[in-house]
Parts: sequence; C-alpha cells; structure tokens
Amino acid sequence: MALHRGNGLATIEYPTGMNQNGDPSQAWIKVKPDGRVDVFSGTSDIGNGSKTVQSQIVAETIGVPYDWITYDNSNTDSSPMCTGTFASRATFVAGNAVLKAARQVRERILAIAARELEIDPADLEVADGAVSVKGTPAKSMGVDEVAGAATFVHGELLTGDGAHLNPGAAIVDPESGEVDKPPHAAISYAACAATVEVDDETGDVRVLELTQVYDIGRAMNPTLVEGQIEGGAVMGLGFGVLETCYPYYPSVEHRGDGMNTYHVPTMSGLPEINNVLMENPSSGGPYGAKGIGEMANNGQPAAIANAIYDAVGVWISEFPITPERVLAALDAKREGGGEPRREGRVVAFDEELSISAATSAKSWGP
Amino acid sequence: MKVVGARLPRYDGVGHVTGRTTYVDDVRLPGMLHAAALRSPHHNARITHVDTGAAEAMAGVHAVLTHADVPLLVHGHLSGAGIPGDEPLLAKDYVRYRGQPIALVAADTVDIARAACAAIEVDYEELPALFDVRLAFDDDAPVVNDTFGNWYNKYEGDLDVRQIRKGDTEAAFDAADLIVSGVYRTQSQEQVPLETQVCVAVPEPDGRLTIHTCTQAMYFSLGVVCSHLQMPMSEVKMVGGTVGGGFGGKVDTASDPLTALAALKSGRPVKWRWTREEEMLASGNRGPWHMEIIDAVSSDGWILGRKMLTVHDAGAYGRFSVYGLTKHSFHHTGAYSIPNLHFDGYVVFTNRIPTTAMRGYGITGLATAIEVHAERVARELGMDPYEFRLKNANRVNDTSPNRIAYEDPSTVEVLQSLASATGSELSDELRAMSRDERSGDMLPDHLVAQIGSGGH
Repeated sequence: MALHRGNGLATIEYPTGMNQNGDPSQAWIKVKPDGRVDVFSGTSDIGNGSKTVQSQIVAETIGVPYDWITYDNSNTDSSPMCTGTFASRATFVAGNAVLKAARQVRERILAIAARELEIDPADLEVADGAVSVKGTPAKSMGVDEVAGAATFVHGELLTGDGAHLNPGAAIVDPESGEVDKPPHAAISYAACAATVEVDDETGDVRVLELTQVYDIGRAMNPTLVEGQIEGGAVMGLGFGVLETCYPYYPSVEHRGDGMNTYHVPTMSGLPEINNVLMENPSSGGPYGAKGIGEMANNGQPAAIANAIYDAVGVWISEFPITPERVLAALDAKREGGGEPRREGRVVAFDEELSISAATSAKSWGP
Repeated sequence: MKVVGARLPRYDGVGHVTGRTTYVDDVRLPGMLHAAALRSPHHNARITHVDTGAAEAMAGVHAVLTHADVPLLVHGHLSGAGIPGDEPLLAKDYVRYRGQPIALVAADTVDIARAACAAIEVDYEELPALFDVRLAFDDDAPVVNDTFGNWYNKYEGDLDVRQIRKGDTEAAFDAADLIVSGVYRTQSQEQVPLETQVCVAVPEPDGRLTIHTCTQAMYFSLGVVCSHLQMPMSEVKMVGGTVGGGFGGKVDTASDPLTALAALKSGRPVKWRWTREEEMLASGNRGPWHMEIIDAVSSDGWILGRKMLTVHDAGAYGRFSVYGLTKHSFHHTGAYSIPNLHFDGYVVFTNRIPTTAMRGYGITGLATAIEVHAERVARELGMDPYEFRLKNANRVNDTSPNRIAYEDPSTVEVLQSLASATGSELSDELRAMSRDERSGDMLPDHLVAQIGSGGH
C-alpha cells in the first residue's frame, strides 16, 4: 500500500453576463459642493467587491482620488435599476453603467472649469482631483473648486447617469440552437493544473497544489481578483473531493444539515495555490474587464480527476471523488475490471451509468 | 491608469472584519415579531386538510399565513423571458419536496412561532416520489410538477428539449477513427453562505413596506415581491446591498415575499431568519447534472464531432433551471472548436428541493465532464494532454455551438502559460501556437465551414 502522486489539467471558458443578455444595469452620480462624489448603483455586494471596483471605475474616469468616492447601493428608492450580482455580470455590466455616468460628470466638470478658466473644454484634462490645461499644468483648478463654482456661482448640479444593456436579448432557434446575436457580454478563459496524492489503501485524495491561469481582460483590482480565484479554487476543491448534498444520490437520505455533517474545505489542509493573471482586454468591458466570479470554481474538479488517473490509473466520473469511489475503482482495477468496452473504433466508458442502462422508456439522444 | 488596476483595499472590508457591518440580522426594531415556517415532512403528498385555528388562537401569535393569503400565489421568476411560473409561494394542494413551506407564523418570539407551526393541523395523502432522473420518462413514473409534468416542455413555445444541431454529425462519426463515450454525473452542492436566508419587513406609517433583504439582486427581488403582493414598485423599498455570502443562493428571494405578507397581515415589523438546518435542507442548491458525451475523433487528434445528452435534475420546480440548461447547451464544447454537434438537453423534475443558481451555473458540472472526457480521449490517442487541448482550442473567428464567432479566445495562451507555470515542456510547435484565426495546418478541411466572421 502506498501513496501515489499525479498531475492533471483542465481548461475552461465562461461567459460574462446573463445568458442571452437582456440584463440592464443603471447608475447615477452627483458631486457635492466640495467635489466629493456620490455614486448610486443598485448592485448588491455579495463579497465580490463590486463596491470597490465600481468606485475605482468612477475615480479613474472622472479623475479624482479613490477616497473621494462614496458608494451607495443601500436601497431601491435612491439607486436606479440593476439586475443583480450574479452571472459574473457586476464588473462588466454594472461597471459599464457607472463608467458612462462618470464620463458625463467629467464632461460637466470640464464645462464648468472651462468657463472659470476661460478656455476651450477640449484643452482641459482632469487628473488627481484637479482640472488643468493640457501642456500647461500650472494653469489649473481643483475639482473641489469646480464643484464649488458649479454650486454657488453657476447654480448647477454636477451629475451624470448611465445605463448598460448588452446587447439586447438573443433569440434562439429551437431546432439548431443558433442565436440571432451574441448571447454573452464577453467570454473569459482559464486553465488549471492539479497535483494530487492518492492513498491506495484508504482511497483518500490529497490535493497538494493548484496552479491556475486566468485571462479576465483586465484585473481591475488584482487583490480582489486573487480573492475570487483563490476562494473559487477552494469551492472547486470542495466540489471535486468533498461536498455533496446527497451522499447516496439519487437517494435523499443521509443529507448533511449543518457544518458538522456537510463538509466544506477548511483552511487546514488547503493546497498551495499559484495564480497567474493574464490581461487581454475585452472590447466592451470597462477598461477591458471581463467577468471572473463564477468560473473560479470550474477548472479544479476535472484537473483533480485527471491527476488521480495520472496517479493510480482509475477514472472517476461521478462527483465528488470520495474515498469510497476511489477505492471501488481501485478494487475493480485490481480484479481486472474497470476498463471501458472496446469494440473496433469504439471506446465506451461508464456504460453502467447511462440512461439507456437504467430505462428503455425513451429513445435517448446520443 | 492610476486607480483601475491598483491593489486598493476593499471598500467595506474594515466593517466586515471587525464585525461592524450591519447585515439584515442586525436590524432590530421595536415591536418586531419573529417568523417560523411549517414545512412539508413528505417528499410528495396531496394536502387533504389544513386547520390553522389552534395556531391562531395561541397567545403571542399575530399572523398565520397560508396560500390563501398570497395575492399571486405563482410567479415565474423568468416569466419575462417566456418561461412560465410553476412554484406556489406556499403549498396549496400538493407538496412536492420535503421542506416545502405550507404556512408561515409571525409571533412574539421564535419559540412561539415554532410552537404555533406545530399546532397547525395538516393531513396528507402520501404519494410515491421520484428521485432518479433516469426513470422520469417511464410510464409509471410518479408525476412531480403540476405545470410541466416530469420534464420541461415549453422551450421556445412548445419543445420539450433544448437542442443544438450544427454541421453534419453523422458524417463526422462516419469519418472518425476513434469514438469515445463517457457518462458524467455531478452532484448537488450547497452554497453555504455564512448568513442564512433572512429578511426583516416593516410596514411604514405611510402605507409603504420597507424590506431589509439579503438578496443578491435588489431590483430582481423587488419585482418578485411586488408580483406576489400585487403592489407597484413605489410601495416597496428594498434595503440591502450588503450580503453575507450568496454564491447564487440568494437570487431566489426565498424569504422576502412571505415576510412582507406577514408584516402586512400583522401590522408589525417581522423578522424571518432561517436556521442553518433550513439553509442546508430547504434552500435551493446547485443541481445535479447527468451528462453523456460521445466524441468522434481522428487518429491525429482532431475532435470531429460531438453527440451529447444532458439531463439536469432540477428538483421539484423550475426556478432558473431552464436558463441554466440553455446556457449549458451554448457552452457544451468547452474551450474547443468542434464543428459538428448534436446536443439534446432536458430539465427533469424530481421530488427534491428545487435547485437554483450557484457559482458557475449550468457550467461547473459541464466543464468537469468535458475536461475529464478530453483527458480520456487524449489518453486513448496516446497524445500529450497539452497537445490535444492546444490542437483543438478555439481560435479567433471559430464559432460556438450557437454560431457566434469567438472574438478574443485565450485558450491557447492560458494553456501555454499554465505549462510554463508548472514546468511542463511544450514542443516549439505548440509554443508557437496563437489564438489567431486559423490557417495552414491549423485549418483542416473539417473546420473550414464553421469559421465565422465579425467575431464577438
């Protein structure tokens, strides 16, 4: 009896935004008399960091420091419509809404500053909370002064609104599945490698290392991206080897009803996780961003399964990969079984799991 | 750029890690009542009799809700996308899963509310239950879903299958040197948010309702609440935006509509906080997927065609499952370009908790199946796993199963980067690959017809 090491990989892709699209987000912004910026968005922050990312987009776009931004997503009376935080859509779709609103605010700041400085707005730029003449940085005024002038001299409110809908709901042809327009806002890409150690006596699988490469267009905040992909890796680890609501699926018996009977990965025993972020900007996302939230737990399960095959030569195609399943596969292999049916050019795995093995009620697809 | 791309601290991070963020459960109001639900003990049963009299008569009980109190009992969450509703907010004639809510009680304390739930008399006629999706089509299978039967049958009007047909799959299989099939079954997974489902609903003196919500989607949930309550959006103020973990499980709006009704009926603020057991046993989780893949492959490692059958175990009601299956169908080639496709997908109902969104919805299990299958095919061919994947990787202007040209696929680049990061050797030929539109050896005859244009 021994421990066996193996390596496996998987590559994945994932859409940004609701499938078939048709999921709007809206935002509006107002500027206080001292130039500080209030953002109103309907995007719930579920821990994904959308308050932070949207505040960054607004600060960058207007040209003011990040800590000038107050972000309010607290209620539906003051914040405009956002479809919600799901479908990996917050950064791309809601981010585009605040981006458009911030561009309007910037234009209005430039218009007021142009009147104050008596210069064409096209010759002005905004950065670090100040409006200055391009090429003549000495001639400038603070955004706080611009906001004060707007309020008390010109009697205007510096505001902006934005909405994003990308690009309208796709219609699906029921026969072919063909769509009339893109059903996603963007697609993100990733690859993941796992190194595992399999105990051939107990069936226990230890994931020692996960290496993952994500191209998400633009890492708006690399720390938050790492939070997403490391948290996602842990969730993918749980899907791969630990978690199931129905341990004897399809039976509904023996369900875990708490944290002591439904096991999620914990900080102890986590694998080493290595991350690589690639940035190939998308054409439609704010500053080239794409979605990252959901795909982060999609690559690990298969990479782990493939690493187990590499380690001990058995395929597990039912998840999670429990010690029982590994042991059963190892036992079958020792007894000379567990092989696919090979007949001419056909190699058929897992036939005992198929629907046609369970019923003859319907003539099934493949 | 100065702010975008910077490692700035999380906007609300200090509050989260010091326990000072106000979550829904932190909301406490004078006169606030507490709610508890009576849930079905059966997987499938007809309700023959309900008597709430004893519960209503209990001291400290202020409201008992049943289906008769709900202005619109069935609201389809995706009715705007043409998918009819099927799930009653409170069970009426049948319960279709263990844990399905039948009544909600609002009382002075949680203990009183629970005791009142226990005092509600319900008579059931138990029915056989269906749990195995593979048996859902049998003539003698128990009927699960009152609206659709045992599988969804309203795709684009009246189809009972989500299908993809692309290219000439039969010709691809005729031409194949190798045909590899596999069956993949992925499991139900709980989202496990630290914050369980929770809501505080407050009837305001001006007649409006304030709803402190843990939803991931305030406006979506506003629509759900207003639909069930048959109220205009102006009458309800959702307060939220800060969520103690969602992972997809807080789009359903599980607690808001009933808590709102209890607040209206009692005239008092009402809090309904689910226990961890309810969160685990009665809230929607990731659904199981049964996937059968057959690939037609050439001896030099091209995937010529794919046939696939997917059966998604939706649980008792539809919720977002049809959406999830359609998304699944659109991505069933994964990161590869496979020109000839025959996909059939079914949303099948079983007597388990309705499944719902979870991180990677429709695709987590699919990606798992596709990538184990890819590894099997590569091993059968005797090909290096990187080489097989890089060869079949999608490229600019290749088309997806639904004929959309890929605009900026990075499959080649992420694989090359992964090989570098893990010290895996790639040949010069594989190192030189790129995402660029196909030409030369990378544009064999079988991939010509699938090339698109004007990519996205």
